[in-house]
Amino acid sequence: MEPKEVLDELKSLLVSRLKFDPRRVADLSMETPLPKGVDGAIGLDSLDFIELSIAVEERFAVPMDESEDLAAHFASLDTLCRFIAERAPAA
Amino acid sequence: MRRVVVTGLGAVSPFGLGVKAYWSGIAAGVCAIRPVTLIETDGFKCRIAAEVPDGVLGSRRRSRADRLALTAAQEALDDAGLTSAERRDAALIVGAVGGGMLEAEAWHWGQRERPLANGPGHISALRSVLPFSHAETLGSHLRLEGPRETLVTACSSGAASLAVAADLIASGAADVALAGGADALTRICFMGFNALKLLDPAPCRPFDRERRGMSIGEGAAFLVLESAEYARARGARGYAELAGAAMTTDAYHVTAPHPDGDGMARAMRAALDQASVAPAEVGYVNAHGTATPQNDRIEATALRAVFGEGRVLVSSTKSMIGHTMAAAGSLEAIATVLALVHGVVPPTAHHEETDPAVPFDCVPRVAREAPLTHAMSNSFGFGGQNVTLLFRGRG
Repeated sequence: MEPKEVLDELKSLLVSRLKFDPRRVADLSMETPLPKGVDGAIGLDSLDFIELSIAVEERFAVPMDESEDLAAHFASLDTLCRFIAERAPAA
Repeated sequence: MRRVVVTGLGAVSPFGLGVKAYWSGIAAGVCAIRPVTLIETDGFKCRIAAEVPDGVLGSRRRSRADRLALTAAQEALDDAGLTSAERRDAALIVGAVGGGMLEAEAWHWGQRERPLANGPGHISALRSVLPFSHAETLGSHLRLEGPRETLVTACSSGAASLAVAADLIASGAADVALAGGADALTRICFMGFNALKLLDPAPCRPFDRERRGMSIGEGAAFLVLESAEYARARGARGYAELAGAAMTTDAYHVTAPHPDGDGMARAMRAALDQASVAPAEVGYVNAHGTATPQNDRIEATALRAVFGEGRVLVSSTKSMIGHTMAAAGSLEAIATVLALVHGVVPPTAHHEETDPAVPFDCVPRVAREAPLTHAMSNSFGFGGQNVTLLFRGRG
């Protein structure tokens, strides 16, 4: 999958699963940070990350290994798109 | 009071995904109780249970019980053919016991660096450890925005969920409800029943003279219930009417049923009264039938008090799928509904010689064709939490 396609799917997950305002999600750029507490971030908290990571597993069939430190992959939409695009099985 | 009809069925059972696989299995008298793979059973006398085969929906980082629940609930809603607008106001009533305990146990044991049958566990598992997590998962995924409750009444939780959903519909508080129960195999359940010396090392034999205890199972089942008018207005074809649903309590002992079976008999009579049905109109009872020496003897006493000796057919689905805990009441409700629909009574597997204290035809090993107008399902939880559901065929 291309990062751009992944991005659109991720944005729709932020709306459908994390219940973010669609207008706010539409304005997000690739560089927008995800974690709460980072300047300019959309502000995901720890439960949001669990929900998002499960949603990513179910939507893209990308398994997550919690014994790995995944924080760097969940830093921004850009890092997350790359992580998914590299691991998602070919359609 | 409004009439309540069953318009959707969904099941994940030890026979696999779907109501069809479940009914085919039990109608053929197949036993799905096999060696345990999900948890460690080294050193136990009993090392068998009825596990759900692979294939359930959802991320493996969801609790297994959540995934069983999601899969069954989705099937029930699809079967009922409810639009998303019709789903929105539906009540969601979930029977639960173990919650996400299987994964919480794996995480906890992983902290102690013990090797486990089902992997090291994830800390995110702790998010959904409590029994109400199934309702949370189902509600948000399936967009059910009506009243929501989780019922924890031990082994009768799945049946209690249907009784409470029926009340909500009968009283007008809801038009539609998704109700049922789910449970995955857990160590605490398996080891708890082992400690109580209630597990048979071989597949359980309900109502048999030689029965030696129960077998544990897992699964999920949900039913869509709705008011008869609502179903008619949207052109839904009902499977059966839930004509009576009654709950009583023994208030006697933490695990043992009252020796006279008084609470059980009161539940059955109350369900009959509610439906204005005479005992003679009931052709089949899907028994709680755990195959413990005590339950089956006392349930037979209660059945005799209500129905008299002989006439009514009595069988236990647990002989094929084990005791699926919070799912048992709803899986067995589906068995009862489909017995009415097909005019076929599922058998009691492994049943060789009926206990002389059980004066009923237990439909040994082979299903029986029987035209039925009414059929009953009993579920009796620890603590004497008794639930009886009475279904009426469409006639």
